[in-house]
Amino acid sequence: MGFLSTVLGFCGFGVGISAGLVIGYSFFIYFQPSDVKDPKIRPLVDQDSETLQKMLPEIPLWVKNPDYDRVDWINKFLEYLWPYLDKAICTTAKNIAKPIIDEQIPKYKIDAVEFETLTLGSLPPTFQGMKVYVTDEKELIMEPLIKWAGNPNVTVAVKAFGLKATVQVVDLQVFALPRITLKPLVPSFPCFASIFVSLMEKPHVDFGLKLIGADLMSIPGLYRFVQELIKDQVANMYLWPKTLQVQILDPAKAFKRPVGMLHVRVVRAMKLRKKDLLGASDPYVKLKLTEDKLSSMKTTVKHKNLNPEWNEEFDIFVKDPQTQALELRVFDWEQIGKHEKMGMNVIPLKELTPEEPKVMTLELLKNMDLNDTQNEKSRGQLVVELTYKPFKEDEIPKSFEESKTVQKAPENTPDGGGVLAVIVHEAQDVEGKHHTNPYVRVLFRGEEKKTKHVKKNRDPRWEEEFLFMIDEPPINEKLHVEVLSNSSRIGLLHSKESLGYIDINLSDVVNNKRINEKYHLIDSKNGRIQIELQWRTK
Amino acid sequence: MGLISGMLMGMIFGISLMAGWRHMMRYRSTKRIAKAADIKVLGSLNRDDLKKICGDNYPEWISFPVYEQVKWLNKQLSKLWPSVAEAASAVIKESVEPLLEEYRPPGITSLKFSKLTLGTVAPKIEGIRVQSLKKGQITMDIDFRWGGDPSIILGVEAALVASIPIQLKDLQVFTVIRVIFQLAEEIPCISAVVVALLSEPKPRIDYTLKAVGGSLTAIPGISDMIDDTVNTIVTDMLQWPHRIVVPIGGIPADTSELELKPEGKLTVTVVKANDLKNMEMIGKSDPYVVVHIRPLFKVKTKVIDNNLNPVWNQTFELIAEDRETQAITVEVFDEDIGQDKRLGIAKFRLIELEPETPKEVNLSLLSSLDTLKVKDKKDRGSCTLKLLYHQFSKEEQLIALEEEKTILEERKRLKEAGVIGSTMDALDGAASLVGSGVGMVGTGIGAGVGLVGSGVGAGVGIVGSGLGAVGSGLSKAGRFMGRTITGGHSSKRSGTSTPVNSIQENGGAKPL
Repeated sequence: MGFLSTVLGFCGFGVGISAGLVIGYSFFIYFQPSDVKDPKIRPLVDQDSETLQKMLPEIPLWVKNPDYDRVDWINKFLEYLWPYLDKAICTTAKNIAKPIIDEQIPKYKIDAVEFETLTLGSLPPTFQGMKVYVTDEKELIMEPLIKWAGNPNVTVAVKAFGLKATVQVVDLQVFALPRITLKPLVPSFPCFASIFVSLMEKPHVDFGLKLIGADLMSIPGLYRFVQELIKDQVANMYLWPKTLQVQILDPAKAFKRPVGMLHVRVVRAMKLRKKDLLGASDPYVKLKLTEDKLSSMKTTVKHKNLNPEWNEEFDIFVKDPQTQALELRVFDWEQIGKHEKMGMNVIPLKELTPEEPKVMTLELLKNMDLNDTQNEKSRGQLVVELTYKPFKEDEIPKSFEESKTVQKAPENTPDGGGVLAVIVHEAQDVEGKHHTNPYVRVLFRGEEKKTKHVKKNRDPRWEEEFLFMIDEPPINEKLHVEVLSNSSRIGLLHSKESLGYIDINLSDVVNNKRINEKYHLIDSKNGRIQIELQWRTK
Repeated sequence: MGLISGMLMGMIFGISLMAGWRHMMRYRSTKRIAKAADIKVLGSLNRDDLKKICGDNYPEWISFPVYEQVKWLNKQLSKLWPSVAEAASAVIKESVEPLLEEYRPPGITSLKFSKLTLGTVAPKIEGIRVQSLKKGQITMDIDFRWGGDPSIILGVEAALVASIPIQLKDLQVFTVIRVIFQLAEEIPCISAVVVALLSEPKPRIDYTLKAVGGSLTAIPGISDMIDDTVNTIVTDMLQWPHRIVVPIGGIPADTSELELKPEGKLTVTVVKANDLKNMEMIGKSDPYVVVHIRPLFKVKTKVIDNNLNPVWNQTFELIAEDRETQAITVEVFDEDIGQDKRLGIAKFRLIELEPETPKEVNLSLLSSLDTLKVKDKKDRGSCTLKLLYHQFSKEEQLIALEEEKTILEERKRLKEAGVIGSTMDALDGAASLVGSGVGMVGTGIGAGVGLVGSGVGAGVGIVGSGLGAVGSGLSKAGRFMGRTITGGHSSKRSGTSTPVNSIQENGGAKPL
């Protein structure tokens, strides 16, 4: 008897619990309003110290840390923009989701899936501080702290077999500290080629997920589990050092990377016209590619010769063989004064067949204007041999990542040796007593290289690269870098002045392959110079 | 018995389970909402809030200026500057050159950039203020300062003189840029951007001119002429209420609301002047008055010989675009052989006028509008004007716009046909009107008058063609904006979004 009563009791409990759940559900949950209300925002001044205490963990970073900047103007902007953004995003989301839903539902025998409500709420994300890092590399790094504690309401209704079920997402909160890196910087708008985003910390995610009105996320234990799951998923994908890369500009276009090499042999010139009053001219040839910022290359000067033979060879990087052209100008060298033009001509590179040497005899002209009558006069001829060699596909660095790593040394470097590349970027606050027309002299093993002069500038920028070929790693050697200034007037006192120098120990470069740093100049007040050193080996 | 008690127990258990769940739901929901409210409040802290939170430990480094400081943006800008400078110089060259061409004074036959690099010093953004003055618009004011070292060399060609390169040195720009975003409910949520320089504080653009390998005196008055051109371009194109409207591609939106358009008509009667200064050696000054709201549309009275208390009683009509900020400028000149001397200048703000109510004002003349430049405190006499401001109704405004359109089209056609707009025409026009061909090249006044001559006298060829040029310049700007904001939408509409909107009604104002 007791046994039967116990069994009945258990059965009754089973029935009772289901009935209780249904009653409880309908009483406590189903008939409760499920709409999302705007939270009441009380001004801070009205609040007591206890609520203020509770607020402290959420206080913006710019209050706590001086290295974070306040960006309330962006917050304000977002606030004004938010209603519009909300509508725009929701409409777009609906439009994107609709065809996908329509395609999928017949498979699952569901009648309809639709958004009952879709709104991002009235609270926009806020930026609680912005920090930027200034490095010597060509990149911009910023770290905003974004907190979105919104009141979105996304309700999806699923209808199947005459029943309707709703899934509702409410009160989504996402706090994240992303690092946004814009690099590399390029000289065409929008001035950077890619955006890299990575999270510095695991993001905080919180939300309510209501299934037919009941919030699953408030089942004890489940919320934590889901939160950890999401955090880990996101962290796997984007937590630093993993990054999300968004390409803005095409790398080849942004950089105008060389796609080939033009091999030029200046053979000789014939029947040049006499320019000097006494004796024959002293001709030399200047070569340059159009649209190239590099300074032109020169042959040697052949003194007193109107039919000079040079037989000199040059290699020029080609960035765009379709539009670029080789400019050849013959000049008359002078001891004093301006070198006189003797003639010129231009060869468009698209006239050349790749990998095929072509000998050309060019008529020298006064200028490239076809209608100029002065061009009818004979100015002599120039013989050149041209070969265009496009790089093979694998020789072109494909992405920025590759280009950042140190390049390989050329084939002909001796074993154990390599190429020391010195890139003089810029200097700041260099100042001479009498004049400031700075240029840089780089001295290594007695070999001297100079940059261009920058006129009257305390913060000159050179961006010039020098290469030194050496047989063995320069472990115990130093590189001497000196900033000098030349007076623009000739023959006065203080015609040359040193604005500061530094000696850089090269062993670090050999160990690190690449060092890019700002050095304080010795013998200068505040002068700094940014120099990049690379040790390229085979 | 067991069954019933079991059921009862089960029911109670089930209900309490649900109640517990419900409690948890409430608890978590209130917690989330409270957090959202906190973050919202903390998103816009002010000084008092911070005082309350921090108490005595108020962080010293925090201040709340009207224009919020953006140190981080400046850091980024100076880093990015070399790239920006290189990219921007091409854009500037393309978009400003046609402007220079259209606004150039007739004394100069060609005005072009021969070199333009923006230098190594990045501009500084002193502060940013964001407000919403109108529903659906966000107004962003950027306090912009640039004391740069750009290398700008203008190739200037004047009549009879070979081209000389003129360098703009020590360029300094201090201004507040107002950017208005027109919002839309479609991605990218911004349908148009309006850019203008705020007139208060007045934009300051300083530079010194230097001739490269020559002397500025090679063309007399050249520096005045260039000053005048720069000034006209800035005040007539960029300075609020004049603005540049750049529609953002993708959203077909009505931007006509944003553009500057005729708002009212000002009827000016130049009555008389009193106690003018005598500028002539023999006899007395021969005064005439030039009145304008926008420098491109000047009107002039007849000359009254030998009189220091002249009475003109001549009436003109001028179009006003923005009563809030615009002013009428009155200049009294002494007609002379050679160059005309300015006897005095005065300004009257239109905001001080009641619409539809005639008002007689007596303005005392100054030697210059720039109070820093006024050297003497000598009395320069006064000028009496009768002013009547008429606010256009919607219909009138439409009519004015239509008329303006037809006039512009007509002028464009004429310009294309080569009937007007050539420099010589403009010269002739100005010369015959002012009566001194030499003086024109000579001075700033000459240049100004020349502008009027070519602008109004010869049939506003300048404006007609200026429209096209501005349009093309803008479409470039539009392309650039489009690229940065929307990622690849150039807008053809920008051609029509020209700020040059005002023009006299037919015969309303007598051309010079």
